[in-house]
Amino acid sequence: MDYGIEVRDQEAVVRLRGRLTFNDHAKLRTLIGEMGQNKLKRQVLDLSSLEFVDSAGIGMLLIAREEMDRAAKQFVLRGAAGQVKRVLTVAQIAKIVPMED
Amino acid sequence: MSGGTTHSTTQNNAGTVGCRTRFAGLAAPGMPVERLGRLAQSLGLAPVAEPAGPAALAVLLTGAAPGSDADELWLPPIAAWIEPPAGSDAAGLAPLLAEAAGNDLYLNLTTATAHDLQLGGRLLAALNARYPLDGDRRDDLELALHEAVSNALVHGNLGVAGMKELSAQELERFSRDLGDSLADPALAARRIVIALRIDPATDGPAEDGPAQDGRALATVEVADEGAGFIPGPRTSSGASGRGLDLIGNIAEELEIGNGGRSIRLRFRL
Repeated sequence: MDYGIEVRDQEAVVRLRGRLTFNDHAKLRTLIGEMGQNKLKRQVLDLSSLEFVDSAGIGMLLIAREEMDRAAKQFVLRGAAGQVKRVLTVAQIAKIVPMED
Repeated sequence: MSGGTTHSTTQNNAGTVGCRTRFAGLAAPGMPVERLGRLAQSLGLAPVAEPAGPAALAVLLTGAAPGSDADELWLPPIAAWIEPPAGSDAAGLAPLLAEAAGNDLYLNLTTATAHDLQLGGRLLAALNARYPLDGDRRDDLELALHEAVSNALVHGNLGVAGMKELSAQELERFSRDLGDSLADPALAARRIVIALRIDPATDGPAEDGPAQDGRALATVEVADEGAGFIPGPRTSSGASGRGLDLIGNIAEELEIGNGGRSIRLRFRL
């Protein structure tokens, strides 16, 4: 997995690309740190270019959400498609994290 | 699911299933030609430089060998992927090849090698080349295979506990434990064994046969050498604990065996 952060007027958009699995723990640690540091209240994770997520990847998304909560920031998942959308749906993540198309 | 069986499943395969795959040749990326020639000869196989043709081949892999992650290594005619145990010769490989012959696809690798190979996706490519799967089903099976393999590697062989609390500290702990375990030669040398059998659909009602509904049935067993675990009620409120549930949603059958060191999944293809 790799990612890019785009800081806009109202929100920071983090676009994830590739496969998010247990092996991406180091990148997620860095990413969560970066999201916490930028000033914007609203942090959007754009999943539209993410091809695959596993259960540990879901866990890391939930950790990101919790850390944003602690930093009093909004956290949104956007644009999940294909396998990623299917898995997030099965795991009922929308109950915990706001999801946008 | 049913739990609690304690059979050593890989031994059962070799004993009861007999020969499913007749290997014609042996390939080994990165191995000197003379050594491969000698090894293949003592195993009664042809040394193969470029995998081709219809006859099944076994490939010897080590994570360090250049080319061992090439895509074509995971497609027919290759049906077995074996990392030779350290210092082993033909005599050490023969029992692994015999086990491989009892299955349609077979992997026997160290944790260090398996960790770098995205095995779920590789296994799916090998399966899909034989039984083409449609998009959603393909995605589901890839996830189930990936979850079974990562459980065996991370929680089994490497002994790393899942992320419980939802916190960056817990992610750091997971990260650190995983790194420490991979750096431990004894843990990194533990093996993962994956055996896959495909039973084609049969015509008419099967008599206690495995294949029904006109769809082939895949049986996958993933075995590790970790401490095992006791299957119990699963919680999915923390950051981990969803893997087995996801597998259970996808597989027709899920059975934990050998004290939590092996998992058997069945899927309709």
